[in-house]
Amino acid sequence: MENEPASDSRMIRDTRMKLLKWIVILLAALSLFFLFVYIIPSLQKIPGGKKVVITNSASLKKDPSYKKQIAQLNRDIQRLSRKYNSYTSGQSYIVINTTDNLFYLYRNKKLVREGHCSTGSFKMLKTEEGRSWIFKTPKGKFTIQGKQTNPAWRRPDWAFVEEGLPVPERQDDPSRYEYGVLGDYALALGDGYLIHGTIYKRFLGMPVTHGCVRLNDEDLKAIFNTLSIGSKVYIF
Amino acid sequence: METETAATKPDRRYVMITAGAIIMAVILFYTLMTMLAPSKKMNSLKDEFGYKQDEKVKINDTIFTDSTYMSLFRELAFLKARTSIAETDSIYLTMNLADSGVTLEISGVTVARTKLARLSASKMFRERNSYVITSMLSKPFTISRNFASIPKEPLMIKMAPKDTSEYKPDIIPDTADYEPVNFIMEMDNGTVVYVYQEEKLNTGDGLHLFFFDLRYRMYDAWRNIKNVFTFRVPEYHPFIKVRLPRADAKIIYRALPEHGQIAVYR
Repeated sequence: MENEPASDSRMIRDTRMKLLKWIVILLAALSLFFLFVYIIPSLQKIPGGKKVVITNSASLKKDPSYKKQIAQLNRDIQRLSRKYNSYTSGQSYIVINTTDNLFYLYRNKKLVREGHCSTGSFKMLKTEEGRSWIFKTPKGKFTIQGKQTNPAWRRPDWAFVEEGLPVPERQDDPSRYEYGVLGDYALALGDGYLIHGTIYKRFLGMPVTHGCVRLNDEDLKAIFNTLSIGSKVYIF
Repeated sequence: METETAATKPDRRYVMITAGAIIMAVILFYTLMTMLAPSKKMNSLKDEFGYKQDEKVKINDTIFTDSTYMSLFRELAFLKARTSIAETDSIYLTMNLADSGVTLEISGVTVARTKLARLSASKMFRERNSYVITSMLSKPFTISRNFASIPKEPLMIKMAPKDTSEYKPDIIPDTADYEPVNFIMEMDNGTVVYVYQEEKLNTGDGLHLFFFDLRYRMYDAWRNIKNVFTFRVPEYHPFIKVRLPRADAKIIYRALPEHGQIAVYR
């Protein structure tokens, strides 16, 4: 009985020591972690060698080879600037932002109209048979390949699959044609992608389409009248 | 029993001292190898982009200390990089570290523009008058790997209904969903571009960024450890860290192709 308090205090001391040991181990592990992840990488410095000191030596400026070098650089800059500027055509073009669903119409490199549009929903439609479609608007540089007034929509297979309807076998099946759903105009970008109008105007500004670009009637009319076949369309 | 205890204690101490020495040696070796990495990188850059004297047209080396020459040379390097990407018809990014301007371009046409809210970069990108670094910038950087807090393409999978009775029209997409936008792009030339959102719009944004950054640091440290313990000097990754408004960062990340290109001016 007399030994009990002594063994208790030893137990407490042992427990404390164990705890302390674990704390030390944990702190050491954490220090190692921070050493490898933060401290050592921060010690890396790229050696710049001798720091370049600008002297602008007057004698150098009189050197004929210096003048030749500067003239050559100026020529190269002018040549490349001309080449670079030639990429921006003076023609009208449209820029479409698929992240925020906005469009910007340019004429002679000046912004003439901007507004909301709807672009691809990024939905992937899958069937049990293993067919699949991704509804996204392609990004990059495109050209207007065709213009149409009062366009009819020829429904692709996915339009039937999406609604659980049987897919007509023939591509020119009358059930594939729908009138009045694409608005008054359509501009073709190739591969079946169009810029067209919509009956779902409340969705403008949202990513809801199957890949085409939808606009409201006034914007569509302005764009149809401004862009011609061959005009550039930049989608990002 | 007494002899056993007496024999175990010095043994344990010996083990502890040996383990400590080994750990210290490992740390020292790792640190040394890591510190060698920047010199190795600079040497390889010098080999690739350093000025090579032409026997026919000899140039006075002091030309590289002339501000007019270096300023024109920087402009030319940026133009070269931009022109070579513009020819590809792809979407690309230009970063002007001198005026903090960032543009998204397609074939030379600026489609989006923003300003860097904050910028920090490796010393080599801050050294404006280095011939080697400016030459390096005349070649566009190509993204070799992306790490991001948002998906490149926010795909949602929808199973087709079996018949019309199963068909449900799409609901309006939830545009109010919020996710912080942070991404890291590793370039083919070893440079790492960090793009973090400027604003802290939600309370968890700071913590999210801390863990996002930590995950990449751990990945990088692990890559270095693997190199060092196979007795290879790890690769040094010069960096450009920028803060952008969240909306612009999202546009840039979603617009750039998986292996998109960047032209940098400093």
